[in-house]
Amino acid sequence: MRVAFVGKGGAGKSAISGTFARLLARRGHPVLAIDSDPLPGMAYSLGLDRDDAPLPDEAIEDRPDDEEGPRYRLRAGLSAAEAVERHAATAPDGVRFLQFGKIRTDPRALFRSQLAFRQIIKELPDDRWHLVGDLPGGTRQPFTGWGAYADTYLVVVEPMAKSLLSARRLARLASAAERPVQVLAVANKVSESGDAEMVARRSGLEVVASVPLEPAFAAAERAGRAPLDLVPESAAVGAVSLLVDRLDRQPLRGAAT
Amino acid sequence: MKLAVTGKGGSGKTTTSAVLARTLARRGHDVVALDCDSNPNLGISLGVGDDETERLVSMRQALDEGEEEHAPGWDQVLQRFGSDAPDGVRLAVVSRIDNPEPGCL
Repeated sequence: MRVAFVGKGGAGKSAISGTFARLLARRGHPVLAIDSDPLPGMAYSLGLDRDDAPLPDEAIEDRPDDEEGPRYRLRAGLSAAEAVERHAATAPDGVRFLQFGKIRTDPRALFRSQLAFRQIIKELPDDRWHLVGDLPGGTRQPFTGWGAYADTYLVVVEPMAKSLLSARRLARLASAAERPVQVLAVANKVSESGDAEMVARRSGLEVVASVPLEPAFAAAERAGRAPLDLVPESAAVGAVSLLVDRLDRQPLRGAAT
Repeated sequence: MKLAVTGKGGSGKTTTSAVLARTLARRGHDVVALDCDSNPNLGISLGVGDDETERLVSMRQALDEGEEEHAPGWDQVLQRFGSDAPDGVRLAVVSRIDNPEPGCL
């Protein structure tokens, strides 16, 4: 599967996507977690102890003057799959973790890392990993640019006005996308009985998971720890597990069926 | 004064901006609230509602798509593309909600 979590900032994309990636890996699947957000996020919910895991300098080089394309690219001879094997961080449960690159003081270093990241995403083989992505908050370009690797988008929605409006915008942008994409909603921080139904009605999307508002889950986020490590028995982790059940029927794209 | 409110997603930028704008307006200042977020929700926190917030967004999109003429000065921009929020705050949406070009790349 190739899924990307989208939604308003603060809706819970990172916490849910990190948990989702590890639960999928526990079922024996090869999983590549992809963090495209220049602000901190997915690394913590995967259980890594640092947020910043850029591609190393040695994997990236200047593009020769006579070659078309962006200014930096993967080192000659290094394929996208090899770059992941060698340089992607390894998170608990065997999840591999690829990061767009975090905002830093030297913009050139970020630019190098980001261009190489984009090349990897574009050239990644279809049949090697399940992809689980965490996209930046908002509506800016999930269905093009950063999120183009996904075929299923999971919109994380809180039962609150701004989050619902953002979900409706994302649904609208998805229906205008040039390629067919599947867009589903994950209701998050649900606390009242009608919340999931309200998310469905006001976003216009099918709700495939309903994750409860839970102090224990929030405490894991506050501590910068993976919910799966700190509160594995929580109802919120249980709801993400049900979401994995629901989506874990899709084969790797391109794999023989 | 010219204030910009920034921070990580979900940390409360929009809510803070809206309360600041309306509080300043209640003290008698003329206040313009600019929503520079590419997912503009400031209208909701100011209290103009979903429909008016979306109307401002679609006006902004129409400008990019050449369906609306640009206004020649800042005051005309606010007049044509803005909306009145409670306490006399004038709200305008600055960014479009989708942009296929990922920043500087």
